[in-house]
Amino acid sequence: MNKLAEWQLTLPLALAFAAIFLAPLLMLVGVSFFSDDKITQPGFAQWVKFYGDPFSYKVIADTMLLGVKTVCATILVGYPLALVYLDAPPRLQKVLIFVIVMPLLLSVVVRTFAWIVVLGREGVVNQLLLSLGIISEPLRLLQTELGLVISLTQIEMPLMLLPLISVMSRLDPNLRDASAALGASRWRTLFTVIVPLSMPGLVAGCLLVFASSTTAFISQTVIGGVRLIYLPLLIWQQSLVVFNWPFAAVVSIALLISVLTVVSALSWLGRRSGGYVHG
Amino acid sequence: MFNRRSLLAGATALGGTSLLPSLAHAKGIVTAATYPGSWEDAYRSVVAPALKKAYDVDLELQPLFAVDQIAKVRAARGAPPFDAFVLDPGPRITGIEGGLFEKFDGRKISNAPNLPAGMIDEWGICVGAQVVGIGYNPKKLPKPTGWKDLLSDPWVSRLGITGFQTTFGTVSLIEIAKAFGGSETNVEPALVELKKVLPKIAAVGNPAAMPGLLQQGQCDITYTNIQTVAILKSRGVDIEFVKPASGAVAFFTTMHIAKGAAEADNAYKYFDTVVSKAVGDALVQPPHNFIPVNKQVVLPPSLPMTNLDEMSTYIQHDWSKINPLRAGWIEKFNKEMAK
Repeated sequence: MNKLAEWQLTLPLALAFAAIFLAPLLMLVGVSFFSDDKITQPGFAQWVKFYGDPFSYKVIADTMLLGVKTVCATILVGYPLALVYLDAPPRLQKVLIFVIVMPLLLSVVVRTFAWIVVLGREGVVNQLLLSLGIISEPLRLLQTELGLVISLTQIEMPLMLLPLISVMSRLDPNLRDASAALGASRWRTLFTVIVPLSMPGLVAGCLLVFASSTTAFISQTVIGGVRLIYLPLLIWQQSLVVFNWPFAAVVSIALLISVLTVVSALSWLGRRSGGYVHG
Repeated sequence: MFNRRSLLAGATALGGTSLLPSLAHAKGIVTAATYPGSWEDAYRSVVAPALKKAYDVDLELQPLFAVDQIAKVRAARGAPPFDAFVLDPGPRITGIEGGLFEKFDGRKISNAPNLPAGMIDEWGICVGAQVVGIGYNPKKLPKPTGWKDLLSDPWVSRLGITGFQTTFGTVSLIEIAKAFGGSETNVEPALVELKKVLPKIAAVGNPAAMPGLLQQGQCDITYTNIQTVAILKSRGVDIEFVKPASGAVAFFTTMHIAKGAAEADNAYKYFDTVVSKAVGDALVQPPHNFIPVNKQVVLPPSLPMTNLDEMSTYIQHDWSKINPLRAGWIEKFNKEMAK
C-alpha cells in the first residue's frame, strides 16, 4: 500500500475528530468572547468576571487539589495491589483482574449512589463503627472532602491499576532475583528496581486518575454535595441553570487549561522516567 | 477482506435498519420531556398506556429537569430533541423569552371544556399544580410548624437544603427569607440566617441527590414537593408532608410544544391525554399524589387541596421578577455556602 493510500485511511477518523471535538472546542472558545448571555455582544467581560473574582481561584485550586489527593490515594491503595498481582499465581491473577475491572462494568451513577449507602449517617461504615463501640455518634463522611476522596479512589482505581499492571507484568523477574542475590532487601529492591521500572505505568495511571477525578461531576456533586465547589459544578450551573453560556465557556476553558497543565507535567515526568529506565 | 460488493451489501442492510424507526413512526410516536423521579414513574405507568390506548401513539419519555430541557432545546437550535416540554413557571418564562415554544392551539384539546378558565394560553397548557412545603421524618423529629423552625434546634441539625437550581429550592429559600424579613426579591436574610447555622446543617445537596439522602437518613427534614414525599413514603421511608403555618407554596406546571417539534400533532394528543379525567383519576392516587387540572377529577383527602380553586389560598410567586435575579442568587449561595 503506498503512502498516499495510508494517509487516506486516516481521513475518516481525522474528519470525525475535527467535527465532534475540534469544531465544538473552537465554538466554545468563540462563545467565551461574548459579554452577554444572549451571545450578541463581543467582549471580554466574562473573562474579566471570572479571573477578577478571588473565589474563582479558590475553586480552581480546590479542583486541582482534589485530583492530587485522589491520585495519591489511588497510588497508596493501588500500588500494593499491583504488587500482589505481580506475585500471584496465574489463577489468582485472573480473579484479581476481574475484581479490578468490575467497577468499570457498572455505571458511574450506580457506583456513586452506592457510596451514599456506604458513607451515609446510617450507612455501612457508621453502623460498623457504632456496633464496635469505636464511635458513639455517627461520623459525617458524606458531603466531606474525605468521603469524596475515598469514593473517587474506588471509582477511579481501575484507571490506575490497569496501566500499572500492564507495565509491571512485563518486568523481567530475573531483575528482582538478581537484586536479592546481590544482597538488597525487599524494600530496597522495591524502591530501586521495581518502582523505577514501573514508572511509565504509574505516570499513565496518575494521568488518567487526575483527569477523570477533577472532571467527575456526578461524584463531586452527589457525594461531595454543593458546599464543595469544583469547576464542573460551576460549569453545570452556568450552562444549565443560569444559561450564561459565555461564562460557562470561560470556566470550561479554565478547567481544560488547568487539567492540561498538570497532565502535560505528568507526561513530561513519564518521558523522563522512561529515559531513566531505558537509558 | 471487504470488497465493494460486501460493503454495498452492508450499507444496504444499514439503510434498511434505518427505515425501522420510520415504520414505528407510522404508528405514531411523541417524545416528551418529563421530570426525573416521581413524574417519570407516574407518566411511564399511567400516561403512556393511556395515550397508546386512546390514540395508538407511543410515548417516549426523556427525564430532564426543567432547566435541562431549556438548555437542550436552546443548544439544538430549531431541531429539538423532544416534542413536548413540561415546565415550572420560571423556566416557562425563559422559554417564552427565548422563542423556544410553538404557538399553542387550544382548540386541539378536546378536554379543554373540563379545565378551569385560564389553563390554556397562547404558549401552552397547564397540566397540574405542585405544592411545596416541608418533608420530615416523624420518628426522629417533632412536627415543624413553619419555615423558621428549619433553622432552629432540633430540626437544623437534621436539615438538608438545596440551592436555587430548582423551582422548589428557590421558592422555599424565598419563603425562609420572608420569615426573616426578606421578600420575593430579597433572599439576603435567608442566606444570612443559613450561614449562621451552616456548621449544624446535615446536608447541602444536589437536588437530584436529596431523596437518596433522606432515604439513607443523612438528613431527616427538608423543603420539598408533595410528590417527592409521596414517592418516598411508598418506598417505606418515614416521611410526612407539612404545610408551613405561613402557607405552602403552589405553582402550576405547564406543557409546551418545542419549536420545530417533529410530532406536534401527537404532542396535542399527549397533552389531551394528560388532562383527561381517566389519567387524572389515576394520578391523584398514591403513590403519585398529583394535583390534576381536570374539574371532573375528585381530589382525595390525601392531597393538600380539595380543588384547584384553592390555589389562590396558596403562596405564589412572580417569576418574571425572580428570573432576572436568580443567577446572582446562585452565585451568592455558592460563595456563602462553600467550605
